[in-house]
Amino acid sequence: MTKILTGNELLSGATVYLDANGDWVEDIQAARVFAKDEAKALEVAMAATKVTGRILSLETEDVETINGVIHANRIRERIRSEGPTAPRFDRQHLGEDEHVSI
Amino acid sequence: MYRYDEFDAAFVSERVEQFSDQVRRRISGELTEDQFRPLRLMNGLYLQLHAYMLRVAVPYGTLSGAQMRMLGHIARKYDRGYGHFTTRQNIQYNWPKLRDIPEILADLASVEMHAIQTSGNCIRNVTTDQFAGAAADEIIDPRPVAEIIRQWSSLHPEFTFLPRKFKIAITGAPNDRAAVKFHDIGLMAQTNGSGDVGWAVYVGGGLGRTPMIGKMINGFVPHEHLLAYLESILRVYNRYGRRDNKYKARIKILVHEEGLETIKAQVEEEFSHVRGGVLTLPEAELDRINAYFAQPAYVDHGVVSLDVEREKILDPAYGRFLTNNTFPHARSGYTSVTVSLKPIGGAPGDATAEQMEAVADLAERYSFDEVRVTHEQNLVLPHVALTDLKAVYDGLVEAGLADANSGEITDMITCPGLDFCALANARSIPIAQDISRRFAAPDRQKEIGKLKIKISGCINACGHHHVGHIGILGVEKKGTELYQITVGGDGTEEASVGKILGPGFVAEEVPSAIERLVDAYIAQRTTDEETFISAYRRLGDAPFKEALYGNG
Repeated sequence: MTKILTGNELLSGATVYLDANGDWVEDIQAARVFAKDEAKALEVAMAATKVTGRILSLETEDVETINGVIHANRIRERIRSEGPTAPRFDRQHLGEDEHVSI
Repeated sequence: MYRYDEFDAAFVSERVEQFSDQVRRRISGELTEDQFRPLRLMNGLYLQLHAYMLRVAVPYGTLSGAQMRMLGHIARKYDRGYGHFTTRQNIQYNWPKLRDIPEILADLASVEMHAIQTSGNCIRNVTTDQFAGAAADEIIDPRPVAEIIRQWSSLHPEFTFLPRKFKIAITGAPNDRAAVKFHDIGLMAQTNGSGDVGWAVYVGGGLGRTPMIGKMINGFVPHEHLLAYLESILRVYNRYGRRDNKYKARIKILVHEEGLETIKAQVEEEFSHVRGGVLTLPEAELDRINAYFAQPAYVDHGVVSLDVEREKILDPAYGRFLTNNTFPHARSGYTSVTVSLKPIGGAPGDATAEQMEAVADLAERYSFDEVRVTHEQNLVLPHVALTDLKAVYDGLVEAGLADANSGEITDMITCPGLDFCALANARSIPIAQDISRRFAAPDRQKEIGKLKIKISGCINACGHHHVGHIGILGVEKKGTELYQITVGGDGTEEASVGKILGPGFVAEEVPSAIERLVDAYIAQRTTDEETFISAYRRLGDAPFKEALYGNG
């Protein structure tokens, strides 16, 4: 199963994903997808993230990529990535000084 | 209403300063998240799915107009213009940012409010009857005792790290509107043979993954010894409650595993040492606290009843409001008004900043500056003169708060569920919205009568599904949200836990399943007055099981 890394940014609490450049971003579609044989890279990314002290609830999520679109397996993650469904609210966004990189 | 004395004011203001510094140090990196997390939780700050969530304590569900207006101000300035009232009679904000928390807490402190002990393994906000001090059926106003318990339990050094969280509920009326038998400790006012008022004490009730009805540990604890008795229970729990397994750490498990008689003997032993000591409530202190809850300066307006039937003809919506949303008051010429936070298709318990301000205005103008939050996620204006009722109703219409569905099928308790909560397995709010729309028609709701639906998005049961006449529990099964339906729960003095009658339903099937249960009830009730829960108790599972799953 392929995986992505996700967490919540410290200041805003916003849901964020690690992208291929090492930046924590809002869009799940920009997330770096770690292949099954990239366990070491995943481990390194998690360790580097912990050093920043800026990403909370750090966890991996199982995903599938279908026609270039990342689909989270769990409903929970689909709701996390888009915001509440009822009442419909826009997700939390990062402020100017709330961007984190590893 | 109670007003902070110098001790209350000092500890709340010190805590604001202390937590502001902790936030500053967390942001600067001086504190790690592992160090900061327990500190933020002690101040009611959670991290949920999308953002932080701040839970603010509303002591025993009582607010002044100024406090309610401040809650609206916070919603507008620091959040997204609304707040969510909960089954713990508290309010939660779903979108605050960490940097704003010190300012929010300072704003709260300016109106004698805080978020202390709204999380953690401590004694949480004491809850009570939303009609306390107003209800016609009351033996005693429970608010002074609730306030004394608040003072005793706030920052209590011995009970700050209990095996698990601890909830106390109290009712001064024989008709229990505070679900006291489903709390760690439940208190019910009693009168003994000499006419003295004391408290029946229930222990070991709770919902969650192991629902239990509280057991009576003492039928009459004299008023002046109540704190000593509570301290004795807490000491036994603190000493023997399990700390090895969080799922078995609540006092209900201790009482269940050890047996009531064993726990009672331990409590009595402790009580024999504590009784008559420093926790005995001095008459002067009782009088001082009681004075804060003195009856308002009621005025005799000369109107002691309303012709509801006439009003129903003149204005059916107002007539329906009078029928459902008013509650008998102890004082002739007055009534308590329930302000429904359950608009058809809305999110149960949510109120906008403007609505909070409108309720604050109405409270100041027509309810002696008092508002209550109910554990059923509504608001109450406790003391409204009958002569002011129409003006209050008109104000509520203008604020979009005049839904006349109190106690009816669309007046559901619903937890935030998987749309917000980090613990949830399934969504709750969309289920409530679908059911609400299905039963929207006033005539249909009237036909059904009093029926409580309660919905939780996980087994932690914040939506009280175990005690819903119809309960709905969301679970996740193979990546799909599935909803188990229970029947026969009751949170009142006739406490019972609902029973699962069969397999769960996918979300789209839930409203129809509920409708089949309702239709089965209507078809088999003896009269229009026989309620759903009464009919269930008379008929048993069979007709409801058949309604849900057919004959097969």
